[in-house]
Amino acid sequence: MKRVALLLLLLAFGGILINAVLMLPGFGSFRNKAVAEYYLEHGLEDTGSANLVNSVVWDYRGYDTLGEEIVLFTSAVGIFLISVKEVGNNRERSR
Amino acid sequence: MDVIVKTISRIMFPFILLFGAYLALYGHLSPGGAFPAGAVIASGFVLLFLAYSGLEYKILGNRLIGIMALGMLTVIAIHAGYTFRGELLSIQSPLGIWSGGFTIILNIIGSMVVAAALIVLIYSMLREKG
Repeated sequence: MKRVALLLLLLAFGGILINAVLMLPGFGSFRNKAVAEYYLEHGLEDTGSANLVNSVVWDYRGYDTLGEEIVLFTSAVGIFLISVKEVGNNRERSR
Repeated sequence: MDVIVKTISRIMFPFILLFGAYLALYGHLSPGGAFPAGAVIASGFVLLFLAYSGLEYKILGNRLIGIMALGMLTVIAIHAGYTFRGELLSIQSPLGIWSGGFTIILNIIGSMVVAAALIVLIYSMLREKG
């Protein structure tokens, strides 16, 4: 009984996803050009940097980069905490 | 490790750091920025840690987390109070070194944070017991 319900649920989700993929625009079409054209036109005079990728990453979308750095920091601290067994300055280690 | 590996890694280390600093400082003029610069700087340090087998204990201990946290706090503080774009450091020419406003400072600090995070990853893998 549970298996039948799970199978129906999976088929429902699969159907929704397939419908969403079929509704995507075609390959190579470009519908909303306004934001990209604004970045291409006014990127240099707004930020002053010749590298438009840098101006988008650090200036127009700077808070997203901040979130990404927080994720990087969290992952590094997490791996450090689960793998280093003695925490404390290990100056007197003898080999 | 071998004598050849130790000697070559000791010679190559400042040039790797120089390349990482170039990527960080010229992030707003040519392809680069904070993330590849941090990766290059981290790989320079990791090369030394792999060639000399006890070096990470002598240099770092466990203070690296403190350095990374300090850099992270600085980045958060600058991003939170980020109101100047080009008016702080006046735009001299479109391709000058000071033409990007705050992005050069963010690139420098961000590259240090990314390098510290990657060094912490490799360091915890080297210090893992069993």
